[in-house]
Amino acid sequence: MHSLTDNTLMMKVKSGDLDKLGLLYERHKKKLFGFFYNLGNNPSVSEDLVQNVFVRVLKYRKSYSGDGSFAAWMFRMARNVNYDYHKAMAKQSISLGMSPDDMKVGAEDHLNDGYENEGNKVLLQKALSLLPDEKREMLVLSKYRELKFSEIAKIVGCTEGAAKVRVHRALKDLRAIFLQLEVA
Amino acid sequence: MNKEQFEIEAMDFISGQMSEDKRKVFIDFLDKNPEYESEFIALSNTWKMVNSLDAPEVSARMDETFFSMLSSEIEKTKKESTWEVFAGWFPMIFRPQLVYGMMLLGVGVAIGYYMNFGGDATGVNAAIVSKETGDMRQKLVLTLLEQPSANQRLQGVSEANKFEGVDEKVITALLQTLNNDANVNVRLAAVESLTNYVHNPLVRQGLVKSIPYQESPILQVTLANLMVALQEKSSIEPFKQLMQEKKLDTTVRKKIKNSIESII
Repeated sequence: MHSLTDNTLMMKVKSGDLDKLGLLYERHKKKLFGFFYNLGNNPSVSEDLVQNVFVRVLKYRKSYSGDGSFAAWMFRMARNVNYDYHKAMAKQSISLGMSPDDMKVGAEDHLNDGYENEGNKVLLQKALSLLPDEKREMLVLSKYRELKFSEIAKIVGCTEGAAKVRVHRALKDLRAIFLQLEVA
Repeated sequence: MNKEQFEIEAMDFISGQMSEDKRKVFIDFLDKNPEYESEFIALSNTWKMVNSLDAPEVSARMDETFFSMLSSEIEKTKKESTWEVFAGWFPMIFRPQLVYGMMLLGVGVAIGYYMNFGGDATGVNAAIVSKETGDMRQKLVLTLLEQPSANQRLQGVSEANKFEGVDEKVITALLQTLNNDANVNVRLAAVESLTNYVHNPLVRQGLVKSIPYQESPILQVTLANLMVALQEKSSIEPFKQLMQEKKLDTTVRKKIKNSIESII
């Protein structure tokens, strides 16, 4: 249990106590990294994007109102960072994202040994990478327990019910792709 | 329960955002609807798999980059805040009251400067005023010395003593007073006044010439002492002339004799 909530820390950052951003970074760096990584970015790019998020947090700290959770505000920023990055890369016709095969290799390096079925995890990563971006994004966002559906809805710009339906359907599509991959 | 409602409630259930009462109702619904139940089980398994998705550990490089960025940003903000503090003075400085105050101060300084600059002119004016005052006092002295009252004539001599530099008119007036004034005290005052200007040849000549005209013993002794002090040799002849006077006081005669001997 954190003695200071994320909101309190961010309000301190907003008021000029920039040191507190270090605490927020420590709390959220892994989640943000996982967010970018699971969206299909390679580890190096994911780290850069995490960095970009915190640069934006600093840049736009004055706009932080404290309404809603810090995580929702941060992930909304992360989503924009990811979008801007891929937009810029698309312009340059360079893809730094991972192909499903790359993802397999990358995932194999970092698979948790405790998993009974290592192959399932690799397939799942591959299936995830084959999902449309919007669906993949919904799944990755819903993976974080601190984000309620109401907050995910705000991040992606829809109603709470629509967010739940989108995640539900994304899960179904992911399962369908996963099963196809498993058969193949 | 329609399909969309099922999709929503299924997500609430597996994400743990459903109340206990609703969970029971939902479980009852699944029990009664096997097709939804199988879909829910498949969904729940996929959800678990997604939740188990892991990511590699972040590298130390990411931490270094972040804290380096944060450190430089803190430094930058400190510098900016120093400027902000400085800049924060400007609204205070440019408050209307302060501006008026500064304007008044400026006007005061300008007036002071003008007054100071006019000081030279004032000095000239002062000299003019001083000269005018001197002229007025000279006229006053001359006027007072002509007054019938001995007191006023004494006052006139006293006024003459206040001059640092007297002109010929005043000296002439004082010598006339010494020779002609009816009052001994006035004549004595005139001698004392003229002793202030003994460096003036006109005064010395006048004093020497006045010796034969003096009848008052006290004036005769005073002039004798003065001539001894001045070692005025031209006074010997007038003193000898005075000694020929039969009415001359014996003491005074001795005094003059001694004086003549002292001067010689």
